[in-house]
Amino acid sequence: MNDTTPFDILDFVRASARLLDLPLDDAQVARVATHLARTRAMVAPLRLLPLVPDAEPAEIYCPAPFPAEDPS
Amino acid sequence: MTARHANHVGGMSTGLSVVRAVRAGEMLAEEALEHCIARIEVCDPRVNAFTDGTFERAVREARAVDAARARGEVLPALAGLPYAVKNLFDIEGLTTRAGSRVRNGQPPAAADAVLVERMRAAGAVLVGALNMDEFAYGFTTENSHYGPSRNPRDLSRTAGGSSGGCGAAVAAGQVPVTLGSDTNGSIRVPSSLCGVWGLKPTFGRLSRRGSFPFVASLDHLGPFARSVEDLAATYDALQGPDPADPGCHAARVQPALEQIGHSLSGLRIGALGGYFEDHAGPAARRALACAAEVLHATPGVAWPDAALARAAAFVTSAAEGGALHLPTLRERAAEYEPLSVDRFIAGALQPAEWYVRAQRFRRLYRERVNALFADWDVLLAPATPVQATVIGAETFALNGADMPTRPSMGLLTQPVSYAGCPVVAAPLWPDGLQKLPIGVQVIAAPWREDLALRVARALEASGVAVSPVAGI
Repeated sequence: MNDTTPFDILDFVRASARLLDLPLDDAQVARVATHLARTRAMVAPLRLLPLVPDAEPAEIYCPAPFPAEDPS
Repeated sequence: MTARHANHVGGMSTGLSVVRAVRAGEMLAEEALEHCIARIEVCDPRVNAFTDGTFERAVREARAVDAARARGEVLPALAGLPYAVKNLFDIEGLTTRAGSRVRNGQPPAAADAVLVERMRAAGAVLVGALNMDEFAYGFTTENSHYGPSRNPRDLSRTAGGSSGGCGAAVAAGQVPVTLGSDTNGSIRVPSSLCGVWGLKPTFGRLSRRGSFPFVASLDHLGPFARSVEDLAATYDALQGPDPADPGCHAARVQPALEQIGHSLSGLRIGALGGYFEDHAGPAARRALACAAEVLHATPGVAWPDAALARAAAFVTSAAEGGALHLPTLRERAAEYEPLSVDRFIAGALQPAEWYVRAQRFRRLYRERVNALFADWDVLLAPATPVQATVIGAETFALNGADMPTRPSMGLLTQPVSYAGCPVVAAPLWPDGLQKLPIGVQVIAAPWREDLALRVARALEASGVAVSPVAGI
């Protein structure tokens, strides 16, 4: 996890921006890479956190409110 | 009161004092409104809290209150109270810009946001919309399109953000109450820096329908005020279920105003240590110590996984915010706020695994935080690491390290909102009323806003947490 160079992050930004059809000039690529590198450092402990397979994401989606009454 | 602050200095009284005067026939709602508009016209060229005035609408709403009273009708809870909203709330007839330029030219809102509807039903009078960080992504309201909101306690400093206009308008006495949003601290940070009260309710307590989103899984709406009574009365008027907002989980109204005067006897109150001490500067620590002493709080309580939660909140915000704006960023990135556009783009490019991991962690985190409240009723923590920084400052010093200002003002708020707990930000003055304020978070378990407001009211009654009108 610590072997990524600034050049790798620049490459990642260029490649993922192309994948998302997001046009970026070189100056933007450099600025975005700086932010992404900062986030990557911040998220490193979270990436090391052991999570069991049934640790599901926090929910927000619900298909419909649970019915107040059972169907007749 | 000092020379720097006074009870009025031309500023508005508290909201409920206006409501009581209108109800008693001592003042017309239209007179209260005129007073408010006069204050806005005097202050706002310096403060820049407002982006839009809705004065014609306000006159109609105020006259409707006065007419209802003249007919002998029972007036609703906030009749005649002037207020304003962050400009991400829909206001019928206005384009909801959310602090941006790219939304200029969008059709005006066809209807008010749900919370604006509820304020109108409660008799409140809407006077305008307020400045903010573009699309709520920031903690300083240094908006490059509409200018920075200036802190009424020191006009060279930021008002905090992203609801900076909300904090500044209340501190300047332009309106007694404002409504803002808080995704990672955007109510609590401006409350702290401007020296006003703010309430970030439980995630899912208040409907967000009709507000422009930032991070759907983290967005909260809530009020600012200069008294706890105003804060609680406004919060009560805003409550109610909304099945059309998938993030609104409240099933019924749980009134809080009637609870705020209850004794604190038997409440278990603690002050957070660890991460919250490590990321607090000297003023923040003094403010926390002051509140803890008044409340006889037990020091050094450990909040679980605060640093992980802050990282997860950061990743979640970047990913959801970036994805929301990606279609517009492809075409119009150059029109975005230069202070945040690169962060939006970086968020859009984040690996999916980071985001999913953050959301998986969030579920475990919720259980750990909720378990903490088996032992405590209310917990205290500083609201911001430092007091208001000078506009344009790129960094601030925190315990020997230089921290980037714009992302770091939320260091102490992000772990708490990631758990969804309700928080009242209380305005303290560790260096005296002549100097800058800084806030303390009064945190309760989910759905226990009543406890946070009760403790906040005790702090206010003690005199250590107060919100005078800024003497500008």
